[in-house]
Amino acid sequence: MMNNNTVSSLLTVCALAAAALTLGGCTSSMKEPATTSVAVSKAAVDNAAGADGAQFAPVEMAAARDKMARANQAMAAKDYKTALALADQAQVDAKLAQSKANSAKAQAVSNALQDDLRVLREELNRANNKPQ
Amino acid sequence: MKNYYRTPAALAIVALMAACSSTPTSTPLLENTRAEYRQIEQNSNVGTYAQLELKQASDAMREANLSAERRESAEKVDKQAYLARQKIALTQEVMKKKVAEADVAAAAKERDAIRLAQRTNEANQANASAQQAQLAAQAAQQEAARAQAQAEQAQRNTQDAQRATEEARAKTAEAQARTAQLEAQLEAQLADLAAKKTERGIVITLGDVLFGTDQSSLTPDGMRSAQKLADVLRQNPMRTVLVEGFTDSTGAASYNQELSSRRAASVRDALMQMGIASQRISVRGYGQDHPVAGNDNASGRQLNRRVEIVLSDASGVTKQR
Repeated sequence: MMNNNTVSSLLTVCALAAAALTLGGCTSSMKEPATTSVAVSKAAVDNAAGADGAQFAPVEMAAARDKMARANQAMAAKDYKTALALADQAQVDAKLAQSKANSAKAQAVSNALQDDLRVLREELNRANNKPQ
Repeated sequence: MKNYYRTPAALAIVALMAACSSTPTSTPLLENTRAEYRQIEQNSNVGTYAQLELKQASDAMREANLSAERRESAEKVDKQAYLARQKIALTQEVMKKKVAEADVAAAAKERDAIRLAQRTNEANQANASAQQAQLAAQAAQQEAARAQAQAEQAQRNTQDAQRATEEARAKTAEAQARTAQLEAQLEAQLADLAAKKTERGIVITLGDVLFGTDQSSLTPDGMRSAQKLADVLRQNPMRTVLVEGFTDSTGAASYNQELSSRRAASVRDALMQMGIASQRISVRGYGQDHPVAGNDNASGRQLNRRVEIVLSDASGVTKQR
Protein backbone atom coordinates (compact mmCIF):
# COMPACT_ATOMS: atom_id res chain seq x y z
CA MET A 1 0.00 0.00 0.00
CA MET A 2 2.71 2.34 1.06
CA ASN A 3 4.72 1.26 -1.91
CA ASN A 4 1.84 1.84 -4.20
CA ASN A 5 1.29 5.23 -2.68
CA THR A 6 4.91 6.15 -3.22
CA VAL A 7 4.74 5.14 -6.84
CA SER A 8 1.55 7.11 -7.25
CA SER A 9 2.95 10.23 -5.67
CA LEU A 10 6.13 9.90 -7.73
CA LEU A 11 4.04 9.68 -10.86
CA THR A 12 2.00 12.69 -9.79
CA VAL A 13 5.10 14.72 -9.01
CA CYS A 14 6.57 13.77 -12.33
CA ALA A 15 3.46 14.83 -14.18
CA LEU A 16 3.28 18.11 -12.29
CA ALA A 17 6.94 18.79 -12.89
CA ALA A 18 6.52 18.15 -16.58
CA ALA A 19 3.57 20.51 -16.70
CA ALA A 20 5.49 23.15 -14.77
CA LEU A 21 8.43 22.80 -17.12
CA THR A 22 6.19 23.17 -20.10
CA LEU A 23 4.46 26.28 -18.74
CA GLY A 24 6.58 28.06 -16.16
CA GLY A 25 10.04 27.04 -17.34
CA CYS A 26 9.31 28.35 -20.74
CA THR A 27 7.96 31.64 -19.44
CA SER A 28 11.09 32.67 -17.63
CA SER A 29 13.45 31.66 -20.49
CA MET A 30 11.37 33.52 -23.15
CA LYS A 31 12.26 37.02 -21.91
CA GLU A 32 15.37 37.38 -24.04
CA PRO A 33 14.00 36.19 -27.43
CA ALA A 34 10.88 38.27 -26.88
CA THR A 35 12.96 41.38 -26.23
CA THR A 36 15.01 40.72 -29.37
CA SER A 37 11.97 40.03 -31.49
CA VAL A 38 10.19 43.18 -30.31
CA ALA A 39 13.26 45.24 -31.18
CA VAL A 40 13.60 43.63 -34.61
CA SER A 41 9.91 44.08 -35.28
CA LYS A 42 10.01 47.73 -34.28
CA ALA A 43 12.82 48.25 -36.77
CA ALA A 44 10.75 46.45 -39.41
CA VAL A 45 7.72 48.66 -38.70
CA ASP A 46 9.89 51.79 -38.87
CA ASN A 47 11.39 50.66 -42.18
CA ALA A 48 7.95 49.94 -43.61
CA ALA A 49 6.71 53.37 -42.52
CA GLY A 50 9.77 54.96 -44.16
CA ALA A 51 8.98 53.11 -47.40
CA ASP A 52 5.46 54.62 -47.57
CA GLY A 53 3.86 51.42 -46.22
CA ALA A 54 1.01 53.46 -44.73
CA GLN A 55 0.21 54.85 -48.18
CA PHE A 56 0.46 51.67 -50.23
CA ALA A 57 -0.55 49.02 -47.61
CA PRO A 58 -2.67 50.74 -44.95
CA VAL A 59 -4.25 47.51 -43.65
CA GLU A 60 -0.94 45.74 -43.03
CA MET A 61 0.65 48.86 -41.55
CA ALA A 62 -2.23 49.36 -39.13
CA ALA A 63 -2.09 45.70 -38.11
CA ALA A 64 1.68 45.87 -37.57
CA ARG A 65 1.44 49.00 -35.42
CA ASP A 66 -1.45 47.57 -33.38
CA LYS A 67 0.44 44.36 -32.75
CA MET A 68 3.61 46.27 -31.83
CA ALA A 69 1.66 48.26 -29.26
CA ARG A 70 0.13 45.10 -27.83
CA ALA A 71 3.53 43.38 -27.83
CA ASN A 72 4.95 46.27 -25.82
CA GLN A 73 2.06 46.02 -23.37
CA ALA A 74 2.69 42.29 -23.01
CA MET A 75 6.40 42.97 -22.40
CA ALA A 76 5.46 45.43 -19.66
CA ALA A 77 3.20 42.78 -18.14
CA LYS A 78 6.10 40.28 -18.40
CA ASP A 79 3.91 38.11 -20.66
CA TYR A 80 6.84 37.30 -22.88
CA LYS A 81 5.15 34.52 -24.77
CA THR A 82 2.38 36.78 -25.98
CA ALA A 83 4.88 39.56 -26.64
CA LEU A 84 7.01 37.26 -28.79
CA ALA A 85 4.01 36.01 -30.77
CA LEU A 86 2.71 39.54 -31.35
CA ALA A 87 6.16 40.84 -32.27
CA ASP A 88 6.61 38.04 -34.80
CA GLN A 89 3.25 38.85 -36.36
CA ALA A 90 3.99 42.58 -36.38
CA GLN A 91 7.26 41.84 -38.14
CA VAL A 92 5.69 39.85 -41.00
CA ASP A 93 2.92 42.44 -41.27
CA ALA A 94 5.48 45.25 -41.51
CA LYS A 95 7.64 43.40 -44.03
CA LEU A 96 4.59 42.68 -46.13
CA ALA A 97 3.56 46.35 -45.97
CA GLN A 98 7.02 47.45 -47.08
CA SER A 99 7.09 44.89 -49.86
CA LYS A 100 3.66 45.96 -51.06
CA ALA A 101 4.80 49.58 -51.15
CA ASN A 102 7.94 48.63 -53.05
CA SER A 103 6.10 46.53 -55.60
CA ALA A 104 3.43 49.20 -56.08
CA LYS A 105 6.12 51.80 -56.74
CA ALA A 106 7.92 49.53 -59.18
CA GLN A 107 4.62 48.82 -60.89
CA ALA A 108 3.94 52.56 -61.15
CA VAL A 109 7.35 53.12 -62.73
CA SER A 110 6.70 50.26 -65.11
CA ASN A 111 3.27 51.63 -66.03
CA ALA A 112 4.68 55.11 -66.65
CA LEU A 113 7.38 53.68 -68.85
CA GLN A 114 4.84 51.59 -70.75
CA ASP A 115 2.83 54.76 -71.36
CA ASP A 116 5.97 56.49 -72.62
CA LEU A 117 6.63 53.54 -74.86
CA ARG A 118 3.13 53.62 -76.28
CA VAL A 119 3.51 57.33 -77.08
CA LEU A 120 6.92 56.71 -78.63
CA ARG A 121 5.57 53.88 -80.76
CA GLU A 122 2.72 56.07 -81.96
CA GLU A 123 5.15 58.84 -82.83
CA LEU A 124 7.34 56.42 -84.68
CA ASN A 125 4.37 55.05 -86.62
CA ARG A 126 3.23 58.54 -87.46
CA ALA A 127 6.72 59.49 -88.57
CA ASN A 128 6.93 56.35 -90.69
CA ASN A 129 3.55 56.91 -92.28
CA LYS A 130 4.13 60.59 -92.87
CA PRO A 131 3.98 61.32 -96.59
CA GLN A 132 7.34 62.45 -97.82
CA MET B 1 -7.50 3.11 -2.99
CA LYS B 2 -4.88 2.32 -5.55
CA ASN B 3 -7.24 3.05 -8.37
CA TYR B 4 -8.24 6.32 -6.74
CA TYR B 5 -4.76 7.68 -7.08
CA ARG B 6 -3.95 6.10 -10.38
CA THR B 7 -6.93 7.10 -12.42
CA PRO B 8 -6.12 10.86 -13.01
CA ALA B 9 -2.53 10.16 -13.93
CA ALA B 10 -3.52 7.41 -16.31
CA LEU B 11 -6.12 9.66 -17.85
CA ALA B 12 -3.53 12.39 -18.34
CA ILE B 13 -1.13 10.01 -20.01
CA VAL B 14 -3.89 8.64 -22.23
CA ALA B 15 -4.80 12.17 -23.21
CA LEU B 16 -1.18 12.94 -24.09
CA MET B 17 -0.88 9.77 -26.15
CA ALA B 18 -4.17 10.42 -27.91
CA ALA B 19 -2.92 13.80 -29.05
CA CYS B 20 -0.20 12.12 -31.05
CA SER B 21 -2.22 9.33 -32.55
CA SER B 22 -5.45 11.07 -33.58
CA THR B 23 -6.11 13.38 -36.67
CA PRO B 24 -4.16 16.69 -36.88
CA THR B 25 -5.68 20.05 -36.05
CA SER B 26 -7.38 21.86 -38.92
CA THR B 27 -8.47 25.49 -39.12
CA PRO B 28 -9.90 27.56 -42.00
CA LEU B 29 -6.89 29.89 -41.90
CA LEU B 30 -4.50 26.94 -42.20
CA GLU B 31 -6.42 25.51 -45.13
CA ASN B 32 -6.45 28.88 -46.91
CA THR B 33 -2.78 29.32 -46.27
CA ARG B 34 -2.01 25.89 -47.70
CA ALA B 35 -4.01 26.70 -50.81
CA GLU B 36 -2.17 29.97 -51.26
CA TYR B 37 1.13 28.23 -50.73
CA ARG B 38 0.36 25.63 -53.40
CA GLN B 39 -0.54 28.41 -55.78
CA ILE B 40 2.62 30.41 -55.28
CA GLU B 41 4.75 27.29 -55.42
CA GLN B 42 3.50 26.65 -58.91
CA ASN B 43 4.27 30.16 -60.13
CA SER B 44 7.14 29.90 -62.61
CA ASN B 45 8.51 33.34 -61.67
CA VAL B 46 8.94 32.56 -58.00
CA GLY B 47 12.15 30.55 -58.44
CA THR B 48 13.70 33.31 -60.50
CA TYR B 49 12.62 36.36 -58.55
CA ALA B 50 11.83 35.39 -54.92
CA GLN B 51 13.76 32.25 -54.04
CA LEU B 52 14.77 33.48 -50.58
CA GLU B 53 11.27 34.68 -49.67
CA LEU B 54 9.77 31.40 -50.91
CA LYS B 55 12.19 29.51 -48.67
CA GLN B 56 11.10 31.56 -45.66
CA ALA B 57 7.43 31.07 -46.52
CA SER B 58 8.08 27.38 -46.98
CA ASP B 59 9.71 27.14 -43.54
CA ALA B 60 6.79 28.95 -41.92
CA MET B 61 4.36 26.69 -43.76
CA ARG B 62 6.20 23.67 -42.45
CA GLU B 63 6.04 25.08 -38.90
CA ALA B 64 2.30 25.54 -39.22
CA ASN B 65 1.86 22.04 -40.62
CA LEU B 66 3.96 20.55 -37.81
CA SER B 67 1.93 22.46 -35.27
CA ALA B 68 -1.20 21.05 -36.79
CA GLU B 69 0.20 17.52 -36.86
CA ARG B 70 1.18 17.84 -33.20
CA ARG B 71 -2.49 18.52 -32.75
CA GLU B 72 -1.82 21.77 -31.00
CA SER B 73 -4.68 24.15 -30.21
CA ALA B 74 -6.36 25.99 -33.08
CA GLU B 75 -5.08 29.23 -31.65
CA LYS B 76 -1.46 28.02 -31.79
CA VAL B 77 -1.86 26.59 -35.29
CA ASP B 78 -3.45 29.82 -36.48
CA LYS B 79 -0.53 31.82 -35.10
CA GLN B 80 1.87 29.78 -37.25
CA ALA B 81 -0.51 29.79 -40.20
CA TYR B 82 -0.78 33.57 -40.00
CA LEU B 83 2.99 33.95 -40.11
CA ALA B 84 3.15 31.59 -43.10
CA ARG B 85 0.36 33.37 -44.88
CA GLN B 86 1.96 36.79 -44.50
CA LYS B 87 5.27 35.38 -45.73
CA ILE B 88 3.52 33.93 -48.78
CA ALA B 89 2.00 37.33 -49.45
CA LEU B 90 5.44 38.89 -49.01
CA THR B 91 6.88 36.43 -51.53
CA GLN B 92 4.14 37.43 -53.93
CA GLU B 93 4.88 41.13 -53.50
CA VAL B 94 8.61 40.64 -53.95
CA MET B 95 7.89 38.68 -57.09
CA LYS B 96 5.58 41.40 -58.40
CA LYS B 97 8.24 44.00 -57.70
CA LYS B 98 10.93 42.03 -59.51
CA VAL B 99 8.65 41.40 -62.47
CA ALA B 100 7.85 45.12 -62.63
CA GLU B 101 11.54 45.94 -62.48
CA ALA B 102 12.26 43.47 -65.24
CA ASP B 103 9.47 45.09 -67.26
CA VAL B 104 11.06 48.48 -66.64
CA ALA B 105 14.42 47.23 -67.85
CA ALA B 106 12.86 45.70 -70.96
CA ALA B 107 10.82 48.83 -71.59
CA ALA B 108 13.90 51.01 -71.24
CA LYS B 109 15.66 48.86 -73.77
CA GLU B 110 12.71 49.07 -76.14
CA ARG B 111 12.49 52.82 -75.59
CA ASP B 112 16.12 53.14 -76.58
CA ALA B 113 15.46 51.03 -79.67
CA ILE B 114 12.48 53.19 -80.62
CA ARG B 115 14.48 56.37 -80.10
CA LEU B 116 17.20 54.96 -82.28
CA ALA B 117 14.61 54.16 -84.92
CA GLN B 118 13.29 57.70 -84.60
CA ARG B 119 16.76 59.17 -85.05
CA THR B 120 17.29 56.94 -88.06
CA ASN B 121 13.95 58.06 -89.41
CA GLU B 122 14.75 61.70 -88.84
CA ALA B 123 18.12 61.26 -90.46
CA ASN B 124 16.51 59.56 -93.45
CA GLN B 125 13.92 62.27 -93.73
CA ALA B 126 16.54 64.98 -93.43
CA ASN B 127 18.48 63.19 -96.13
CA ALA B 128 15.41 63.01 -98.33
CA SER B 129 14.71 66.69 -97.69
CA ALA B 130 18.27 67.55 -98.61
CA GLN B 131 17.96 65.58 -101.82
CA GLN B 132 14.69 67.32 -102.60
CA ALA B 133 16.28 70.67 -101.89
CA GLN B 134 19.14 69.75 -104.18
CA LEU B 135 16.72 68.76 -106.93
CA ALA B 136 14.80 71.98 -106.38
CA ALA B 137 18.05 73.93 -106.56
CA GLN B 138 18.98 72.18 -109.80
CA ALA B 139 15.53 72.89 -111.20
CA ALA B 140 15.85 76.52 -110.17
CA GLN B 141 19.25 76.66 -111.80
CA GLN B 142 17.85 75.22 -115.02
CA GLU B 143 14.98 77.64 -114.82
CA ALA B 144 17.41 80.50 -114.35
CA ALA B 145 19.46 79.32 -117.30
CA ARG B 146 16.31 79.11 -119.41
CA ALA B 147 15.30 82.60 -118.30
CA GLN B 148 18.74 83.89 -119.16
CA ALA B 149 18.55 82.27 -122.58
CA GLN B 150 15.17 83.89 -123.08
CA ALA B 151 16.55 87.23 -121.97
CA GLU B 152 19.43 86.85 -124.37
CA GLN B 153 17.03 85.93 -127.15
CA ALA B 154 14.91 88.96 -126.27
CA GLN B 155 18.02 91.11 -126.32
CA ARG B 156 18.94 89.71 -129.72
CA ASN B 157 15.41 90.41 -130.92
CA THR B 158 15.65 93.94 -129.59
CA GLN B 159 18.97 94.38 -131.31
CA ASP B 160 17.50 93.03 -134.52
CA ALA B 161 14.56 95.38 -134.20
CA GLN B 162 16.91 98.25 -133.49
CA ARG B 163 19.00 97.31 -136.45
CA ALA B 164 15.86 97.12 -138.60
CA THR B 165 14.72 100.49 -137.29
CA GLU B 166 18.11 101.97 -138.00
CA GLU B 167 18.10 100.44 -141.44
CA ALA B 168 14.64 101.81 -142.09
CA ARG B 169 15.72 105.19 -140.77
CA ALA B 170 18.81 105.02 -142.91
CA LYS B 171 16.70 104.12 -145.91
CA THR B 172 14.33 106.97 -145.15
CA ALA B 173 17.25 109.32 -144.71
CA GLU B 174 18.75 107.98 -147.90
CA ALA B 175 15.45 108.49 -149.70
CA GLN B 176 15.17 111.97 -148.24
CA ALA B 177 18.73 112.66 -149.24
CA ARG B 178 18.03 111.38 -152.71
CA THR B 179 14.90 113.53 -152.93
CA ALA B 180 16.86 116.52 -151.69
CA GLN B 181 19.57 115.67 -154.14
CA LEU B 182 17.03 115.47 -156.93
CA GLU B 183 15.53 118.76 -155.86
CA ALA B 184 18.95 120.32 -155.77
CA GLN B 185 19.73 118.78 -159.15
CA LEU B 186 16.47 120.12 -160.53
CA GLU B 187 17.20 123.55 -159.15
CA ALA B 188 20.67 123.44 -160.63
CA GLN B 189 19.25 122.41 -163.99
CA LEU B 190 16.70 125.19 -163.82
CA ALA B 191 19.18 127.80 -162.62
CA ASP B 192 19.88 129.05 -166.15
CA LEU B 193 16.18 129.39 -166.85
CA ALA B 194 15.55 131.97 -164.09
CA ALA B 195 13.00 129.69 -162.48
CA LYS B 196 10.98 130.98 -159.55
CA LYS B 197 9.39 128.99 -156.79
CA THR B 198 5.77 130.02 -156.39
CA GLU B 199 2.81 128.48 -154.62
CA ARG B 200 1.82 126.79 -157.89
CA GLY B 201 5.26 125.19 -158.15
CA ILE B 202 8.35 126.10 -160.11
CA VAL B 203 7.54 128.69 -162.77
CA ILE B 204 9.84 129.55 -165.70
CA THR B 205 9.10 132.74 -167.53
CA LEU B 206 10.10 133.09 -171.19
CA GLY B 207 10.21 136.86 -171.84
CA ASP B 208 9.04 138.83 -174.87
CA VAL B 209 12.55 139.04 -176.24
CA LEU B 210 12.58 135.29 -176.89
CA PHE B 211 9.83 135.68 -179.47
CA GLY B 212 9.76 137.72 -182.62
CA THR B 213 7.74 140.94 -182.31
CA ASP B 214 4.07 140.13 -182.82
CA GLN B 215 5.17 136.62 -183.75
CA SER B 216 4.78 133.27 -182.10
CA SER B 217 8.03 131.72 -183.28
CA LEU B 218 10.87 131.41 -180.87
CA THR B 219 14.12 133.28 -181.37
CA PRO B 220 17.36 131.27 -181.23
CA ASP B 221 17.70 132.36 -177.57
CA GLY B 222 14.15 131.14 -176.99
CA MET B 223 15.03 127.80 -178.60
CA ARG B 224 18.01 127.45 -176.25
CA SER B 225 15.74 128.06 -173.29
CA ALA B 226 13.30 125.49 -174.65
CA GLN B 227 16.16 123.05 -175.11
CA LYS B 228 17.20 123.48 -171.46
CA LEU B 229 13.61 122.88 -170.37
CA ALA B 230 13.42 119.79 -172.55
CA ASP B 231 16.61 118.51 -170.90
CA VAL B 232 15.07 119.03 -167.46
CA LEU B 233 11.91 117.20 -168.50
CA ARG B 234 13.94 114.34 -169.91
CA GLN B 235 15.86 114.03 -166.67
CA ASN B 236 12.60 114.22 -164.59
CA PRO B 237 10.28 111.90 -166.52
CA MET B 238 7.51 112.05 -163.92
CA ARG B 239 7.06 115.78 -164.21
CA THR B 240 4.72 117.52 -166.64
CA VAL B 241 4.43 121.19 -167.73
CA LEU B 242 1.62 123.70 -168.16
CA VAL B 243 2.52 126.30 -170.78
CA GLU B 244 0.60 129.60 -170.36
CA GLY B 245 0.73 132.49 -172.85
CA PHE B 246 0.12 136.21 -171.94
CA THR B 247 0.12 139.53 -173.83
CA ASP B 248 -0.08 143.27 -173.02
CA SER B 249 -3.33 145.14 -173.40
CA THR B 250 -2.38 146.77 -176.74
CA GLY B 251 -4.72 145.79 -179.56
CA ALA B 252 -7.89 143.77 -179.64
CA ALA B 253 -8.41 141.29 -176.84
CA SER B 254 -9.36 138.51 -179.21
CA TYR B 255 -6.17 139.08 -181.17
CA ASN B 256 -4.17 139.06 -177.93
CA GLN B 257 -5.94 135.87 -176.88
CA GLU B 258 -5.08 134.19 -180.15
CA LEU B 259 -1.47 135.45 -180.00
CA SER B 260 -0.96 134.16 -176.45
CA SER B 261 -2.29 130.74 -177.45
CA ARG B 262 -0.04 130.59 -180.49
CA ARG B 263 3.06 131.52 -178.50
CA ALA B 264 2.24 128.85 -175.89
CA ALA B 265 1.66 126.33 -178.66
CA SER B 266 4.98 127.16 -180.31
CA VAL B 267 6.74 126.41 -177.04
CA ARG B 268 4.92 123.13 -176.95
CA ASP B 269 5.87 122.34 -180.51
CA ALA B 270 9.50 123.14 -179.77
CA LEU B 271 9.44 120.82 -176.74
CA MET B 272 7.79 118.05 -178.79
CA GLN B 273 10.45 118.46 -181.45
CA MET B 274 12.99 117.96 -178.70
CA GLY B 275 11.44 114.58 -177.87
CA ILE B 276 9.01 115.41 -175.05
CA ALA B 277 5.71 113.49 -175.25
CA SER B 278 2.69 115.71 -176.05
CA GLN B 279 0.65 114.32 -173.14
CA ARG B 280 3.21 115.80 -170.72
CA ILE B 281 2.51 119.31 -172.07
CA SER B 282 -0.67 121.32 -171.50
CA VAL B 283 -1.21 124.66 -173.25
CA ARG B 284 -3.37 127.70 -172.28
CA GLY B 285 -3.68 131.20 -173.76
CA TYR B 286 -4.81 133.93 -171.37
CA GLY B 287 -4.46 136.98 -173.71
CA GLN B 288 -4.08 140.26 -171.84
CA ASP B 289 -5.33 138.81 -168.53
CA HIS B 290 -3.10 138.37 -165.48
CA PRO B 291 -0.56 141.14 -166.16
CA VAL B 292 2.53 141.18 -164.03
CA ALA B 293 3.20 144.93 -164.61
CA GLY B 294 1.42 148.14 -165.70
CA ASN B 295 0.38 148.42 -169.39
CA ASP B 296 0.85 152.21 -169.38
CA ASN B 297 4.52 152.23 -170.26
CA ALA B 298 6.74 150.30 -172.67
CA SER B 299 8.78 148.35 -170.10
CA GLY B 300 5.66 147.25 -168.24
CA ARG B 301 4.05 146.10 -171.44
CA GLN B 302 7.20 144.20 -172.38
CA LEU B 303 7.05 142.34 -169.01
CA ASN B 304 3.43 141.47 -169.61
CA ARG B 305 4.24 139.89 -172.99
CA ARG B 306 5.50 136.50 -171.85
CA VAL B 307 5.07 132.75 -171.68
CA GLU B 308 5.03 131.11 -168.24
CA ILE B 309 5.87 127.44 -167.92
CA VAL B 310 4.62 125.82 -164.68
CA LEU B 311 6.56 122.71 -163.74
CA SER B 312 4.53 120.06 -162.01
CA ASP B 313 5.52 118.39 -158.74
CA ALA B 314 7.27 114.98 -158.75
CA SER B 315 3.94 113.15 -159.28
CA GLY B 316 3.08 115.13 -162.46
CA VAL B 317 0.29 117.38 -161.10
CA THR B 318 0.06 121.11 -161.93
CA LYS B 319 -2.27 123.63 -160.40
CA GLN B 320 -4.52 125.43 -162.87
CA ARG B 321 -4.77 129.13 -162.57
